[in-house]
Amino acid sequence: MTRDEARPPGVKTCRQIALLLAFALVPALLAGWLHPKRPAWGWKRPAVAEIALEDAQHLPPPVIWVDARPEVEYQERHVPGAISLDQSHWEELLPDFIKVWQPGTRVVVYCNTQECDASHEVALRLHRELQIDNVFVLQGGWKAWLEAQKK
Amino acid sequence: MNGLARILRTLAGGLFVVAGALKAFDPAAFATDIDHYHLLPYFALAPLALYLPWLEIICGSAVIAWPAFRRGALILLFALIIGFTGAIIAAMARHLDISCGCFGAATAMPLSYALVRNVILGGIFWWLLRVEYRCAKPGPADAG
Repeated sequence: MTRDEARPPGVKTCRQIALLLAFALVPALLAGWLHPKRPAWGWKRPAVAEIALEDAQHLPPPVIWVDARPEVEYQERHVPGAISLDQSHWEELLPDFIKVWQPGTRVVVYCNTQECDASHEVALRLHRELQIDNVFVLQGGWKAWLEAQKK
Repeated sequence: MNGLARILRTLAGGLFVVAGALKAFDPAAFATDIDHYHLLPYFALAPLALYLPWLEIICGSAVIAWPAFRRGALILLFALIIGFTGAIIAAMARHLDISCGCFGAATAMPLSYALVRNVILGGIFWWLLRVEYRCAKPGPADAG
């Protein structure tokens, strides 16, 4: 009788579970170290900096404007040159963003109003999934842009 | 019974291998999917997004082709199904309009579909565990 067979079944099962949990740790640690699409880690959710429209318009180039509103609204009208990053079509739209983004580029994300969450969510995703740091959320969003055009 | 158990083990284990592989391909997107449930603190998202897919791949493989670890793998996958189902129910109760994230960013499955699928999968794993324990019980010849 081997040592493993001599163990009670409960102990054997616990040992199996512990080993499986440990086995999974090895590729997970390697992925955290080497994976090109590894998520950014931090103790606290990074606060995305908000930026007023006037400051956003005077950011030193290159600057990319990102429209986080639903794609239908983007098609109707958007900030000139803005790229759509509607979260419900994230996988399809992200390549267009990646094509124009380069290191050092500042990104300004907007959604409809000050109250909408989409711009913060998109900004966080850009930070977490693409490790981009210079991401700003436009204060007042699209509404603020429209009001500035009336003046 | 053994033939059916083998088929179900291959199907259910294979499903977890595929689901794990799709999530392991893009852990950053999976971290975002977990975040959409609003259940876990921020610091837990990245480690979980890196670890869970590999646990699914390894346990799914063990269920199919690693008899020495089959029981442990079945228990772990059953526990994962219970955890995922709890998260889905919590999201539905709060009317969160999110996709389940069960197969990574490649597929957008509504929560209601995912819930039904998880209940079926949970039943399959429960049955497979029962078969596993029944097979392990010593027969009269062993006891004598």
